[in-house]
Amino acid sequence: MKRINPLHIGLLLVVILLFLIVQLNSTKSDLQDVSNEYASTKQLVSKLSSLKSIYGDKNKIKKALKKVLDQKSLKSANITEKSTKKGIALSSPSMSKKALDTLMSKILNGSYNVSKLKIKKLSDEKVSLDMEIKW
Amino acid sequence: MFTKFNKKHKSIFLDPNTQKYDLDEKVNVILSPAYYWVKRLTLPVKYARDAKKLLPSIFEDTLTDGNYSYSAYKDGEYFFAFAYDDKVILDALEAKGISLSNVADVFFAQSELDFDGALKVNETQSVYFKDDILVLLPCCWIEESGSLDLEQIETSKHSITLAQFGHIIDSKSLYKIGVILSMLIVLVIVELFITNKKVDDLVSKKDNLFEKAKLQSTMFQNKATLKKYKTIHTSQMKLREYVSIILSSKLKSGESLKLISLKNKKLSVEFSALSQSTINKIVKKLKLKKVEYKSEQKDNSWNLEMKI
Repeated sequence: MKRINPLHIGLLLVVILLFLIVQLNSTKSDLQDVSNEYASTKQLVSKLSSLKSIYGDKNKIKKALKKVLDQKSLKSANITEKSTKKGIALSSPSMSKKALDTLMSKILNGSYNVSKLKIKKLSDEKVSLDMEIKW
Repeated sequence: MFTKFNKKHKSIFLDPNTQKYDLDEKVNVILSPAYYWVKRLTLPVKYARDAKKLLPSIFEDTLTDGNYSYSAYKDGEYFFAFAYDDKVILDALEAKGISLSNVADVFFAQSELDFDGALKVNETQSVYFKDDILVLLPCCWIEESGSLDLEQIETSKHSITLAQFGHIIDSKSLYKIGVILSMLIVLVIVELFITNKKVDDLVSKKDNLFEKAKLQSTMFQNKATLKKYKTIHTSQMKLREYVSIILSSKLKSGESLKLISLKNKKLSVEFSALSQSTINKIVKKLKLKKVEYKSEQKDNSWNLEMKI
């Protein structure tokens, strides 16, 4: 009776099959997890990239701001620019209301992270401005 | 190097009329002719394994209903062909008190016994070779030359393996099930391989996303960065909305906006000489937009504070 019982081989095959099925289920569950993780990463990347390009792109912000300040109506407003590590500060001790309207409409309609702002009425026609934009 | 100890086992003769055994060691079982059918014949095949395939049809007319196993070995130009019912032999072993774990090998008496004349195997029967076939006869039919002495027997290589569950499921079905199980195993392995590949691909795609978008190394850091930018976005949206409410307020003659200030996420507005109706209009707008605010009347000024 030295021969291996075929039933034992059958049983071994069943055990191997069950083990592989358990492995497969575990791998499928891993796939589901990785798939969900990939989808959430993709979503995060999309949101983060768009928000980063709006508020975190230093060069883009500088370029856009330069374009605004180069406008004819703002040239005479004596706006001084001061770049820091974290952002840019704009100030004018005295500027016309018209120049302020132009500047504020561009700033508030654009995507700038305005962290500080002070607009003070000096007279019926003049105002002072202090503004800080961060990136 | 790999020496196999070929231990010589004691042999017992299994016959329906033998006594019960009480064994504490492994034994070789020699089957009485009562437990098998045997034929000596020439066949148009060379090997015993080919002859075995022909046996079911050779024994077809001889056997009664049952599940039979077949065995054959070649002796010169002849084949000795055997048919036996595993279940009958297994039941007989059990009935004689022989546990399967104590069975080393099982042989046919045909292949193991070699003698002249007749030998007594139990009280009523003898074995005798007739035309090279070992047959079982009643004692009185022939005169015996002695009793069967199993100590003298040198076992041959013609042992058989009893199919323990052969009566439940035949070998062919077992092999079919084996093939199906093997195929299923292969399928599951392939599926496992494909799934693992998909996991690897997704992990690699995720890594590429990180690289392409220049993300920080952990999701925790990236989520924190996203939260920071979302907070900035929300506060900037609020700033624009509140400024729009303030600037869209129509002021009467003599009324003026003196100061707009944003510091530490607080938007402060100072009006001068506002009438109560103008204040009411501004407050109404703020409430309509559900803006949280604080207001304070100080001398001629009306101060408004909103958190962004």
